[in-house]
Amino acid sequence: MANRPLPERIAIVLASAVGLAWILGALVDRQVFFQPVLFGIGTGTIIAALALGLVVAYRASGVINFGHGAIATYVTYVYVSLVDTGDYPIPPLPNPVAPIEGIFDIELFDIPTMIAVSESGTSRGIAIAIALLTAAALGLIAHYAIFRPLRYAPILAKVVASVGIMLFLQAAVVLRFGSRAKSADPIFPNDPVDFLGVRVGQDRFWLLGTVVAVTAALYALFRYTRFGIATRASAENEQFTTLLGFNADRQAGISWVLASVLAGAVGILVAPITGVTPNLFTVLLISSLGAALLGRMSSFVVAAVAGLMLGVIDQELFRLEFEFDWIPDIGIRRALPFLVIAIAMVVRGETLPSRGSITAERLPEAYAPPITRWRLSAYGLLVIVATWVTIFAPFQFRAGMQNSMIGVLFALSLVVVTGYVGQISLMQMALAGVSAFAVGTFGTDVGLPLVLTLPLAVASGIGFGLLAALPSLRTRGASLAVVTLASGLALEEIFFKRPGWFGLSRTNKVAPTPEVAGLEFGPSSSFFLGDDKIPTGGFGIFLLVLTIASCVGVMRLRRSRLGEQMLAVRANERAAAAAGVNVAMVKLTAFGISAALAGLGGALTAYKLGTYTGASFGIFVSLSVLAFAYLGGISTVGGAITAGTLFAEGIGIIATNEWFIDVGSYTAYVAGFFLIATAVYNNEGIDGFQRRQFFQVVNFIRRRRGLERLDLRTAGPKRGSADV
Amino acid sequence: MSDVVLRTENLTVRFGGLLAVNDVTLDCARGRLTGLIGPNGAGKTTFIDAVTGFLPNNSSGRVALDGQDVFGRAPHVLAHDGLTRTWQTLELFDDISVRSNLDVASGRLTIPSALRDFFRPAKAQERVEEVIELLDLHDIADRQPRELSQGQRKMVGVGRALVSSSTKILLLDEPAAGLDKSETQWFGEQLRKLIGEGYTMLLIDHDMGLVLSVCDHIHMLEFGKLVASGSPTEMRNNPVVIQAYLGHSGADR
Repeated sequence: MANRPLPERIAIVLASAVGLAWILGALVDRQVFFQPVLFGIGTGTIIAALALGLVVAYRASGVINFGHGAIATYVTYVYVSLVDTGDYPIPPLPNPVAPIEGIFDIELFDIPTMIAVSESGTSRGIAIAIALLTAAALGLIAHYAIFRPLRYAPILAKVVASVGIMLFLQAAVVLRFGSRAKSADPIFPNDPVDFLGVRVGQDRFWLLGTVVAVTAALYALFRYTRFGIATRASAENEQFTTLLGFNADRQAGISWVLASVLAGAVGILVAPITGVTPNLFTVLLISSLGAALLGRMSSFVVAAVAGLMLGVIDQELFRLEFEFDWIPDIGIRRALPFLVIAIAMVVRGETLPSRGSITAERLPEAYAPPITRWRLSAYGLLVIVATWVTIFAPFQFRAGMQNSMIGVLFALSLVVVTGYVGQISLMQMALAGVSAFAVGTFGTDVGLPLVLTLPLAVASGIGFGLLAALPSLRTRGASLAVVTLASGLALEEIFFKRPGWFGLSRTNKVAPTPEVAGLEFGPSSSFFLGDDKIPTGGFGIFLLVLTIASCVGVMRLRRSRLGEQMLAVRANERAAAAAGVNVAMVKLTAFGISAALAGLGGALTAYKLGTYTGASFGIFVSLSVLAFAYLGGISTVGGAITAGTLFAEGIGIIATNEWFIDVGSYTAYVAGFFLIATAVYNNEGIDGFQRRQFFQVVNFIRRRRGLERLDLRTAGPKRGSADV
Repeated sequence: MSDVVLRTENLTVRFGGLLAVNDVTLDCARGRLTGLIGPNGAGKTTFIDAVTGFLPNNSSGRVALDGQDVFGRAPHVLAHDGLTRTWQTLELFDDISVRSNLDVASGRLTIPSALRDFFRPAKAQERVEEVIELLDLHDIADRQPRELSQGQRKMVGVGRALVSSSTKILLLDEPAAGLDKSETQWFGEQLRKLIGEGYTMLLIDHDMGLVLSVCDHIHMLEFGKLVASGSPTEMRNNPVVIQAYLGHSGADR
């Protein structure tokens, strides 16, 4: 205690004081004080158990696994399916002959969706065994196919890969089982018992006992066994541990299996209590991240205790809100994980242990193409085609185009903050939501004209963006990703779900029809060109103008001195500071610009939808925005445009559906898969891939003609010493 | 203007119980190349880190730049004040071109100047081109640091430190580490050339040959304390230096 930093000491003293007051209160009135504890333990054990798995994975390979909850979900569904019907689900596989089938409209062979293990449901023991084997397999795949190849990759790639796991597994569950809740017979007995005058199901005590036992086992494993000590050593210095004859790689693999099996076990044990939905565990995972962060991603005991406490405090807040009218129902309860994470960050600061390994791999290049006449002509052509599609294409293509243009804005917002400055933000849609709700408030409720509403909406987004960015000055990398995820959730829970300026009007929000000087250009306003089906070209042109302006703006930002400073901060914060760059200001500016772009996208979404709720701006949408932006190419404007075409219901998806095959419900699944593949094999996304291919073709032709090779970066002849 | 550009007074750095830099008072004279030597772990790099503002919570004392106390200012403020540095581990911006590396360091970016630059970007920064000329970086200006040889990268590091027009003194942290004999000699010549142009520098290095041959004045640290100061000739014959640093390999290197 003596050599802990001051804020930490204050936190410990405060926590002890609260705990003491609680115990004293409990002695006075058992019912009131024990009830939330007993009720909260149910949720608390899930949070704690997930947190334990997070810590295991982090200690094994320095990855904060955002897919941990999805692994739990997947394994739980496997279990439930086996017990219920005896079927083992096969994740959707690509049909190699699909194109032939599509063209000739025949079905050559059927890929199975389920394997029948037994006719009418397996016994519980067999189901558990098969489900946990599945979990182990997922752990092995996660390690050997994803995180081992990413050992030396930048943190961004690791975060993106784990988000990919989350999207992929959740989509697999939805495809196989639909999104309805499932439940199963309980494993632990749940006859109610009287405990200190409170009547509760006894299963929660079984759960609590299990979590305590697992915590103790993990503690002992990592503390006393050869395996645990070697794992700790390789977290300090992987190379040296390897030199001592330990197989660091295999240890990490074992830990991943352990983490996944733990996740699966959590799911199987609690599914009967809560019922399971495809995203249940991922929502709880945010609380678990808070608990694990309080334990610095390394202490099992702190993570478990914090997880249990979170469950209990959640129940206590619920009771207080219920009991006392003067406590406003402002969603504080739902924002709890955010508060815990924010406190953990302020108290613990940047002390998250990093692994003593070299991260030698480069970040995706922020390619700034030389401006040539060819290139300008290509841009011009692109604008002409886009304009034509926006006005004259069939209505479903026009709708796809509009979705894509808004998607480009969201992707651009990530290009600035993540691509240029290297700060991972998982809250972009929450910022978009703030602006979207501001459109309804200022435009419809107050009745301001568009020229005032739009800037006000974007300014609101910037305001919240800067506020949420403040922790970024103290944290970076994966912890920043966690903070932004929690901030997004807090915005959603505190504002979007209840009436307010940045919330609903009553049950939803209504945006006015955009108009300037009497000229209406909403999605259903009539337009003098094209057919009159909705959406009309007028709104498309409105979007097109703003999207083009944003693209040009971000391109110029990249070439400006501010843009260079951003890339300097991304490359090396210390060196940037020594070179006179005000790192804090550059980061805040980037977050501000990013929030403006996300906010603009949100405001335009509001105009597009007309009537909307917070559902369009949830954290899962934020995660898939990051997914698509990374897939397209996180560090270039071209990448953002590519990402835009891929967005759900974007022009690329619409075109694929119309011309080739119906991707439809498989979009998230396929995107998750390619996101993982992109993170592992090609961190510059589709844009960078195309660029390299293009230059290879160009250089092939040039060589045939006996010309000099061109440099990819400058598009001029190769110069300088290095690779002559 | 006095003849002393940089003066530290009683500069002390503590890490918990460890006294890494102990009450160091030293001067760097204008237009001169001052050397700072000392065995491994003597606190040389820690000294630079403290002077350039990277150890705000661990250091105490006074740092005067042109007579003005600048101790406690943030690193980027110190850079604008004219105190710039290189790093032993280079720490170049690996993802951007050499020219951009210099560009980043070439001056303060304010809101108006950032906006002006955004709407009408200057073709090229004059000062950046000057430094490219001065250090002969023409052929590599459009390349990225990762594609360069170690010696070239060292020069880019130096260029980045002296490109700011407000630079008053350059602190060079072991610039010759990792260079071979001929590269080191070439590097020393470049440093003398810069001194000839009127720059002031503080050179930290292990290579006694380099330090003794190019510096005008030399300080020596041992266990965080300043134990000897003098001209190269004096240092060559100083028993403390011979004993502690050169050991029995002698002063003939």
